[in-house]
Amino acid sequence: MNCTECKELLVEYIEGFLDESHKQAVSEHLNSCRTCQAEIEQLTNLHDRLVNNGNNVSQNNLEDKIMDNIVREQNVRLKAADKAGSALKLRSIIMKSPMTKIAAAAVIIIAVLIGINPFGSTITFADVIEPILNAKTVILDLIVGSDESGPTMHEIVVDQRIRRTMSNIPTLVQILDLETGEMLVLENEGNTAFYADIKGGIQEGTQNYVKFLRQVIENVKEGHVEKIGEKVIDGQKVIGFVGRSPNEKVTIWADPKTAHPIRIELEIGQMYSIMKNLEFDTQVDPALVSMEVPDGYQLQDNSLDLTGANEEDFIETLRIWAEIIGDGVFPEYVDSQNVLKEVPTLVEKLKGMNISEEEGTQIGINFGRGMIFHQEINSQGTWHYAGEGVKFGDADTPIFWYQMEGSPTYRVIYGDLHVEDVTPENLPK
Amino acid sequence: MSETDKYYIERCLDGHPDDFRHLVRRYQGVLLANLAGKLGSKDRAEEAAQETLVRAYFNMNKLKKPDSFFSWLLGIADHVAKEQQRKEQIQLRREAIRSFSEETQSAELSQDFALEAAIAKLPESYRKIILLRYYGQHSCNTIAEQLDMPLGTVTKTLSRAYAMLRDSLQQQEQQEVYEV
Repeated sequence: MNCTECKELLVEYIEGFLDESHKQAVSEHLNSCRTCQAEIEQLTNLHDRLVNNGNNVSQNNLEDKIMDNIVREQNVRLKAADKAGSALKLRSIIMKSPMTKIAAAAVIIIAVLIGINPFGSTITFADVIEPILNAKTVILDLIVGSDESGPTMHEIVVDQRIRRTMSNIPTLVQILDLETGEMLVLENEGNTAFYADIKGGIQEGTQNYVKFLRQVIENVKEGHVEKIGEKVIDGQKVIGFVGRSPNEKVTIWADPKTAHPIRIELEIGQMYSIMKNLEFDTQVDPALVSMEVPDGYQLQDNSLDLTGANEEDFIETLRIWAEIIGDGVFPEYVDSQNVLKEVPTLVEKLKGMNISEEEGTQIGINFGRGMIFHQEINSQGTWHYAGEGVKFGDADTPIFWYQMEGSPTYRVIYGDLHVEDVTPENLPK
Repeated sequence: MSETDKYYIERCLDGHPDDFRHLVRRYQGVLLANLAGKLGSKDRAEEAAQETLVRAYFNMNKLKKPDSFFSWLLGIADHVAKEQQRKEQIQLRREAIRSFSEETQSAELSQDFALEAAIAKLPESYRKIILLRYYGQHSCNTIAEQLDMPLGTVTKTLSRAYAMLRDSLQQQEQQEVYEV
């Protein structure tokens, strides 16, 4: 046996894995070779350290602590589940029905618009500073509305691509390509996929949202916004900055040492959203944001057209909301956050109606589509909703009015969904 | 006690959460060693090991291959460690390790903390085997079965891991001498 052969077997020799003949050969070589003797001394030393450390560590016992933690966490989750009962219901309904998957996707797409283009015109401090921050990837959690137990959108932003999942519908993944204005929706329960056209409003709005986020962070770094003191979030000390403009308010809570943003609260028009768990330049598997249909997924024909939503679409949303979801009565609120909450009811009602899958899907899509227009109003105008409890068909009662920037008159929508142009002085109180 | 991981996972999913205990017992040492090496102290490692196992428990239904529970668990642990590092802005540098092993003896996982730090730097396939063998106290046969590889590969990998560890420890010592 030569040295190379011997060295290769030393660990197995120490561990006692060798058979008699090999063992003997190694022993004999060791007796006559200093180099290998030195080698085995080192390795034995390392072996002893490993064994000692291993014994040492295995005396730590976390078992009870962990089991306690699990029980505690389970209770917290049960409570949260009670609270978010509708979210869980939504998940189980969507898993069961192939038709509703697409309808639900269509509604959720409106969530894409969080942060739709309000920024360009009004936030000047963001405009003047060129984004220096060029993180290639941004990962964050986005919550629509101020209710933090509500659904969270997990976003992975890589250049012009975004991968988005909703916490209450984990079986649906949306991948947006902001360059081409295309979206790929993957539903991983039945392994189906479909493409949607998101050119126009969604594409623009989402692009601005990414850009905006960067500008916000830049501003925190540069201190171009008002400082509002310190507080503690989840055990971490943070320092707050706030930026205001006519239509938006941005509050950023950041690590006072590194300026890393911990939490961003956005108020745009009447919409509120929270961003947290932000990460920058984390390595992201390119497959996660690929626009190709993954292996094993079946591409569906239903392609979704979400471009060019207008007032008519919004009126259709109101009609569906009152007629189908509300059993003939207009809802308490009309906004994005409540659209998400209403999805389970819509799906439930659709199932009870005697309609085809295609028709049901179309209604789901229409419901979401109109909200794209609503988001446009929210960011480029003012609006008011007064329809709570109003009966569908009531031609005398105004339920919703809005004024787009630059328009001298308001558009007023009544309970029977007819629309009138009204001057500001004749506006309902 | 010698049931497979898969058995306990299925038990848990079938509504016997207490059986998770067995998996905790089986992997806590492995996780602690792995995390201590990455995070630099016993307290952090314990915290992260707890978080890892709790997360694993609540995500068990997402585990596609119960046979690869250990790899999956290690993946979660690495993720948790990364999160914690980011949170605490720990820069795991040699200086830090040295000051841990010299000054804060009581907070260490073991007397010989430099070893865990070296293990943490091993490529995953080597790290897994070292961890299972010495910190999980599994036999090479069990490891072979668990990682679904021939026994010969396990022992060869182990030998190579020894060589890597030795080199890395030597390098570290030399650097310390140089810095002193």
